[in-house]
Amino acid sequence: MLSTRLLGRTAVRSAFKPSGSSPIVLASRWSRTYATQSEEKDLVIIGGGVAGYVAAIKAGQEGLKVACIEKRGTLGGTCLNVGCIPSKSLLNNSHLYHQILHDSKHRGIEVGEVKLNLQQLMKAKETSVTGLTKGVEFLLKKNGVEYIKGTGSFQDEHTVKVELNDGGETTVTGKNILIATGSEVTPFPGLTIDEKTVISSTGAIALEKVPEKLLVIGGGIIGLEMASVWSRLGSKVTVVEYLDQIGGPGMDTEVAKGIQKILKKQGIAFKTGTKVVSGDKTGDEVKVQVEAAKGGKEETLDAEVVLVAIGRRPYTGGLGLENIGLETDERGRVIIDSEYRTKIPHIRCVGDATFGPMLAHKAEEEAVAVVEYIKKGYGHVNYGCIPSVMYTFPEVAWVGQSEQDLKKNNIPYRIGTFPFSANSRAKTNLDTEGFVKILADPETDRLLGIHIIGPNAGEMIAEGTLALEYGASSEDVARTCHAHPTLSEAFKEAAMATHAKAIHF
Amino acid sequence: MFATRVLRQAAQHAERTPSIKFLGKRTIPVSIDHTPRPHPASPTNSLPASFTNGSAHTSFSAYRDHAQQFGPLRKTIRADAGIGGNAGAALGSVAPPAGVYFDRNDLPARFHRVPLTADEIEAIETGGAAAWA
Repeated sequence: MLSTRLLGRTAVRSAFKPSGSSPIVLASRWSRTYATQSEEKDLVIIGGGVAGYVAAIKAGQEGLKVACIEKRGTLGGTCLNVGCIPSKSLLNNSHLYHQILHDSKHRGIEVGEVKLNLQQLMKAKETSVTGLTKGVEFLLKKNGVEYIKGTGSFQDEHTVKVELNDGGETTVTGKNILIATGSEVTPFPGLTIDEKTVISSTGAIALEKVPEKLLVIGGGIIGLEMASVWSRLGSKVTVVEYLDQIGGPGMDTEVAKGIQKILKKQGIAFKTGTKVVSGDKTGDEVKVQVEAAKGGKEETLDAEVVLVAIGRRPYTGGLGLENIGLETDERGRVIIDSEYRTKIPHIRCVGDATFGPMLAHKAEEEAVAVVEYIKKGYGHVNYGCIPSVMYTFPEVAWVGQSEQDLKKNNIPYRIGTFPFSANSRAKTNLDTEGFVKILADPETDRLLGIHIIGPNAGEMIAEGTLALEYGASSEDVARTCHAHPTLSEAFKEAAMATHAKAIHF
Repeated sequence: MFATRVLRQAAQHAERTPSIKFLGKRTIPVSIDHTPRPHPASPTNSLPASFTNGSAHTSFSAYRDHAQQFGPLRKTIRADAGIGGNAGAALGSVAPPAGVYFDRNDLPARFHRVPLTADEIEAIETGGAAAWA
């Protein structure tokens, strides 16, 4: 009865609607309830990095009124400006230099004097960065996003105050607000980063000369990529890692050991299971005291430049979270629920500033999902299926669970491997180092993890990620035709080795 | 031949079914439970109390998120459509959530039962005879 009565609600309400009044009149009456006369946005995004700009474009595509606040002056955040993109430029060009210098004669290419022009190398990097950041700015414009250059901080739950880069101040109000402020380099206690002799990843992509000796604190992905760049350009590089294996969290132990061996052969020295006790900067040299992580004899390492690459931490400084009572956890991450909502539901957070791996592609996925949650009420990110890539040579890539993860969780598994030394394309390229390793459930044959060391591993992992996302078995991959001769045949053969036997090994 | 038929049938049964299957036309979920749940990548796999308990209503926005009045309050009134600019059906279900019931007396007076007059009571009690007396 009651529900029948309530169904008449629309009719009753329309009876109260003033006759002759248009929706436009009502809309202006409604807007009068806001404190400010400036147009309220559907979504205000603080941060124009990968998470922020992708969310802005997606929201623009979904028809939302969007503002994106960025203080750097260029879009793209750490990734485009001082992270993934410039480092890839240096990695690619330093690899070419190194290959021309050391790996061309036996291929039948004799070159004359090869000289490094570091200034030009950096210029090439800047050209790539500028092209991409400008491209993002164009995409924001194309999708109707208001791009505000300035520093945003919460004034209240719906208002963000922006100190404009060009001077002055403005406020922007939003029905929804997205925190996408990213992360910053974790400093090393006792060593002040000056970006000249003690550098972070930002300084490591902008050195003015090739240091004679480079000491890298931290053997994770960033540390090893930068170690590769400067080692190829002529530095004597030593990597100090606290843990017993390099590669950082998530890298399969067998893979970590394999790549360490390869990088050692390339001339990079490693000190694993070693703790940095203190550092002393005197003049043009830095002396770093190290000792075995489990305790032992101290040793002094000297270097012209020290790279601090011990990780990154969420960046929420100056955001005014305290003004709205938002909490962060003990590591400074903004606490969110499964729909990226903070405890104030219309304020959400994605990317490095919150939970999950600090990866640009993870931030992109979240950016799309969060806009879908706002607009449609549902979104999708599979945290068990986010690939990781280390762009050394050969590259290292993985997705899913590692062997040590499976062992720790008592999950049974079957392994199939295939070496690139048995792959025809790798052989013709004379790049045969590395292997593909596939882990699958012994009963169902469902893929559990894929780990690759090899040329173009970063591209090849996409096939593994897709298979894992679809819940494929190793037999599904093995029975999928792969073109010959390609490196991807090694992937197929590893899948064959997992459920049956490889043909060429 | 019979043997061929048997072999063909056997071959059909032995045919491999890939794990990856096309699921058909995409469907959009009709009702989604938006109750806060821990983020899948959360290291503690839990949410602070401020996300879940009633004391979360420390702000007007938090209150609106949970408040009910003839259905959930958390409906955004589109500025371009204005109040009443959307069809009632577009505002979603007016049914209370499971375990919650609306009391007729909480509704505006126009929805209350019309009070019976003394004459009507008398008519009911006398089987209608009083109305003609």
